[in-house]
Amino acid sequence: MKNRFAWLFVLAWLLLLAGCAGIATQPTTPTILSETEQPEKGAIIAPVPKAIMSDNRAVIALLDRAQTDNESGQREAAGASLERALRIEPRNPWLWLELARVRLDQGLYAQAITLARKSNSFAGHQSRVQSENWQVIGNARVAQGDTAGAEQAFKLAAELAQQAKTKAESDRDSGFNSP
Amino acid sequence: MKSPFSISNRLSFNFRLSGKTVRLAALLLLLGLSVYILYLDVTIREAFDGRKFALPARVYGRALEVYPGLKLTREQFVGEFKSIGYHESPQPDEAATYKLTLDGVEFTTRDFVFGDGPQPMQHLSIAFADGKVSSLQVRGRDDVDLPLLRLEPPLIGGIYPGHNEDRELVRIDQVPKPLIDALIATEDRKFYTHWGIDPRGIARALYKTVTGQRIEGGSTLTQQLVKNFFLTSERTLTRKGTEALMALLLEMHYSKDEILETYLNEIFLGQDASRAIHGFGLASYFYFDRPLERLEPQQIATLVGMVKGPTAYDPRKHPELALNRRNVVLQIMVSQNVITQGQFVSIRQKPLGVVERAPAGTSPYPAFLQFVHRQLERDYREEDLRSEGLRIFTTLDPLVQYQAEKALASRLAGIEKTRKLAANTLEGAVVVSSTQNGEIKAMVGGRDARYAGYNRAIDARRPIGSLAKPIVYLTALEDPQRYTLITPLDDSPLVWSQPGTTDWKPQNYDHQFHETVQLRTALAHSYNVSTARLGIALGVERILGKLPMFGIDQQPPPFASSMLGAFGLSPVEVAQLYQTFADGGFRTPLRGIRAIVTAQGKPLQRYPLNVEPVAPPAPVYLLTAALQGVVREGTAQSMNNWLPAEMNAAGKTGTTDDLRDSWFAGYTGDSVAVVWVGRDDNKPIGLTGASGAMTIWGEMMKNIQPEPLEPVMPEEIEMVNVDPAKGVRYDEECKSGVLLPFIKGSAPAETSPCGASSADELKTNDNGGAKADIRPEIKQDSGQKSWLQRLFE
Repeated sequence: MKNRFAWLFVLAWLLLLAGCAGIATQPTTPTILSETEQPEKGAIIAPVPKAIMSDNRAVIALLDRAQTDNESGQREAAGASLERALRIEPRNPWLWLELARVRLDQGLYAQAITLARKSNSFAGHQSRVQSENWQVIGNARVAQGDTAGAEQAFKLAAELAQQAKTKAESDRDSGFNSP
Repeated sequence: MKSPFSISNRLSFNFRLSGKTVRLAALLLLLGLSVYILYLDVTIREAFDGRKFALPARVYGRALEVYPGLKLTREQFVGEFKSIGYHESPQPDEAATYKLTLDGVEFTTRDFVFGDGPQPMQHLSIAFADGKVSSLQVRGRDDVDLPLLRLEPPLIGGIYPGHNEDRELVRIDQVPKPLIDALIATEDRKFYTHWGIDPRGIARALYKTVTGQRIEGGSTLTQQLVKNFFLTSERTLTRKGTEALMALLLEMHYSKDEILETYLNEIFLGQDASRAIHGFGLASYFYFDRPLERLEPQQIATLVGMVKGPTAYDPRKHPELALNRRNVVLQIMVSQNVITQGQFVSIRQKPLGVVERAPAGTSPYPAFLQFVHRQLERDYREEDLRSEGLRIFTTLDPLVQYQAEKALASRLAGIEKTRKLAANTLEGAVVVSSTQNGEIKAMVGGRDARYAGYNRAIDARRPIGSLAKPIVYLTALEDPQRYTLITPLDDSPLVWSQPGTTDWKPQNYDHQFHETVQLRTALAHSYNVSTARLGIALGVERILGKLPMFGIDQQPPPFASSMLGAFGLSPVEVAQLYQTFADGGFRTPLRGIRAIVTAQGKPLQRYPLNVEPVAPPAPVYLLTAALQGVVREGTAQSMNNWLPAEMNAAGKTGTTDDLRDSWFAGYTGDSVAVVWVGRDDNKPIGLTGASGAMTIWGEMMKNIQPEPLEPVMPEEIEMVNVDPAKGVRYDEECKSGVLLPFIKGSAPAETSPCGASSADELKTNDNGGAKADIRPEIKQDSGQKSWLQRLFE
C-alpha cells in the first residue's frame, strides 16, 4: 500500500515546488514620474567675474555649482542652486539674471523674460546687468517669434552695454590717475 | 445518535472501493491542498515583498544654510542641532555629534541625500561673534574655510500607510548584534535552526490548548512576522495552522537574515497618538532619541521586552512593568551569554532612560503638513504618498514657525486676560511667507498649534474688511494723470444704490466724515467713505476683476461693499494677495514644497520658482509707500511698540462689522505675514485689526528680526519735494516740504517759493480735538541722507 501511493506524494511535492517557484509575486514598484527636463546644448554663463556678482562666498559657491550643473545640461539642478543663492541674497540682480538664463536654456521663454525683468527691478543703475537682462529678453523674444520686440531688446542691450563699458573705462582711468 | 460502529463501517466501505477511485480521490485531495498552499504562498510572498516597500513619505522642513556673516547665534544653531537629532559628545567625530567650544561648536554632520544630490559627512567647526557666524571651517590637520554648509533638514512629519504605520527602515547589518542575540534568546532560541515552526513549541501549545489550560503562542519569530502581516487577534487553531503553513513557506523562499530583517522593521512597538511605531529603528528614536547602533544594553533589553506586549510594557505609560520586563530580558541575556554577569549587575540598576516628549502625532506642524498634503494630492496618488517612501523637501522654517506659534498663543491669552474675555474663546491663524520667492515659512492653524483639526489658515474664510482696500488704491495709482499719493479725495456722506442690493451707506470707523483727505491719508486711516467713492469712480467691476490676477480665485459678489472687504478669504489667500504688493507687482504662487525625491534618492519632481508680472512696478511702489504710512502714522501706528521705525514695515489693518474679525496683513524686506483673530462661532470679539491681529504680527516680527523694507525705486519714480495740502512743489533744497514719490510727470507742476509749510499750520489743528486728516510731516533737513532716512527721522 505504502509503495503504491508513494508516487502520489512525490507528484504533489513536485507540484508544490514547481508552483511556488513558478509564480513570481509582483512587488509594488514605485510609480516614477519622469523628469520633463530635456538635456540641451549650449550652456551660457556670462564671463562676468563672480566677485562682481556677489561678495558673499556662499553665493559664489552656489553660482559655481549652478554653472557646473548648467554646463552638463542639468538645468533643473542649476535652477535649484540658484534658488538657494537667492534665499541668501533675494535682491541680487545677478542671481535673477542667471536664473533667467537657465529658464531660457530650458525653453521657458515667458519665465525667462519675467525673471530678467525682475532682475532689472533690482538692478538700480547697474547698466551691465541691465544689458545682460535685455539680451536674455531679446533671445527669448526671438524664440517666441517676436522679431520686432527682440530687435528693440537687443538695441537696448547694446546701449546699456556701451554705457557699462564707458563707465568701466572711466572707472579704470580714474583708477590709473589716482595716486 | 450515531452508533460507535458507523465509522468503522464506513471505513470498511471505503476500503472496499476500487484502487482506481482511491487514487483519484487522493490525487484530487492533494491537488486541492496544493492549490491552497499555492494560494497561501502567493499571499505571504506578496505581503513579505510588499511590506518591504510600505514606507511613509517623509516630510522635511527647510535645510538651514550656514555661512560666514549669517545672522545666527550659537544658541539658535544648537537649537537646530536638537531638531535634527544631534547629540553632545566630548569627541564629536561621529555623525550627528557636537561639542561646544569657547566661541562656537565643533561638530560632525551626517551623510544626507538632498533633492539635488548626496552630501557626505563632514567634520566641521563654527564660531560666532556679535550674533553672526564669524567662521566656518573643515576640521583637519589644517583647518580649511568652508563657504557654505547646508545642514540636514529637520524631519517635520510623514504621510503614513494605512493604520498610520511609521517606521525607520534598518538593514540587518545596522542592527547591533546584542539586540539580535537578545531578541532570539527571548523570543525564539531555535530561530537559526528551525524551518519556520518549532514543533516542540507547537506541541506544548497544542497540549495546553486542548487540555483547556490556556490558548498559548509558542510562535517562532517567523510565525510572529506572519501574524503581524495580517494584523488579526483571532487565535483559533485554523488560524494557527495557516500561520504555521505560511511560516514554512516563508522559510522556503527567504533566508534567515531576510526574515529577521523584515521582522526587525515590521514588529509593532508602540503608539504615538495617531501614529503606530513599527520596527526597532524607529522605536529606538521614539523611546531613546538615538539611532539603533548607539543603544546601550539596558535600552536594548527594554525594546526587546516590549515585543511581548508593546502596550502593556510601554515604558512611558507603565514604567514599572517595563522595568521588570527589561530586567527579565537582561536575565535571559546573561543566561545566553549575551552580556556578562558583571555587566548585568551594574546595568540592572540603571533607570529606563526613556526620553520625555509630548506625543507628536503625525507631525508637530499639522497645519503646514495639511497644506503640503493638499498640494501633493494634486500631483500624486494617495497610495504612492503613503507607501513609496518619498522624501519631500518643504519650505517650513521651524525658527519662524516657533515665533508665529508663540506670538499667537501668548498674545491671545494676554488679550483675553486684559480685556476680561472668557479664556480660550479667541482663535487665530498665522501665515508667513518669503517676500521674493513665495515660500511658506510658517503656518499656524489655531492657537493650539499641535492640534491636527480645523486649519483656520487655509479653511477659515472670513470677511477681510479693509484688507481689500489696497486693490482700490493700486487701481487708482495706475492712472498717474488722475491719482497720486496726495490727490484730494471726497470723504463726505455717500448713499450708493445698486440693483440687487439695498442702498449702501458706508460709514467711517470713527463715525465722522472728513470732507477732503489726501489719498495716502485715506488709506493710512482706513477711511471707508472716501475709499468707497474712489472705488465707485474707478469702477467696481474693474477693481474686483483684478482679484484673479493676484492669485485669488474667490469671486466676491459684484457689489460696491465688496471693495471694502465684505467677502471672505482665508489667511493664506490674503498672504497670496499681499505677496504681489510686497514683491513689486510680481506674483509668485505661494509654495510649501521645494522638491521630491524617491526613497532611493532619485529626484522626482521640483517645484521651481514661478514669477508672473501682474502689476506695473511704479504704482506698486507708491502703494507700498502708502502702506508704510499706515504703519508709520495710520491705524497701525502702535506697531512702534514692537518694531523700530527703521523697519519701514508696510501693512494694513482689517476690522469687520461688529468687530467679529481682526486682521493684519503686512510685509517687511523679506517676509509677508498675515494674522487673523476671531471666534469659531463668529461672535463679536470686540477687537479691531490694530488691537488684535496687529499685536500678534508685531510680537512675531520682533522675534523673527526681519530685514527692513527698502523697495528699489523703479525708474519711472521720482522723489519730489511738495506741499501736499497746497498741491505745489518746492525747490529740492527747501526744508518746508515733504519728499514724496511720484510717477514721473504726475507731481504738481506749480512751484512755490520756499516758505512756511502747511504742515506747520496743521500741527495747530491737531490740538483742536478733531482728528487731523493730514499728520505733520517730516521736513527736509539735509541733502546727504536718502529720502527714506529723512522721512523717518
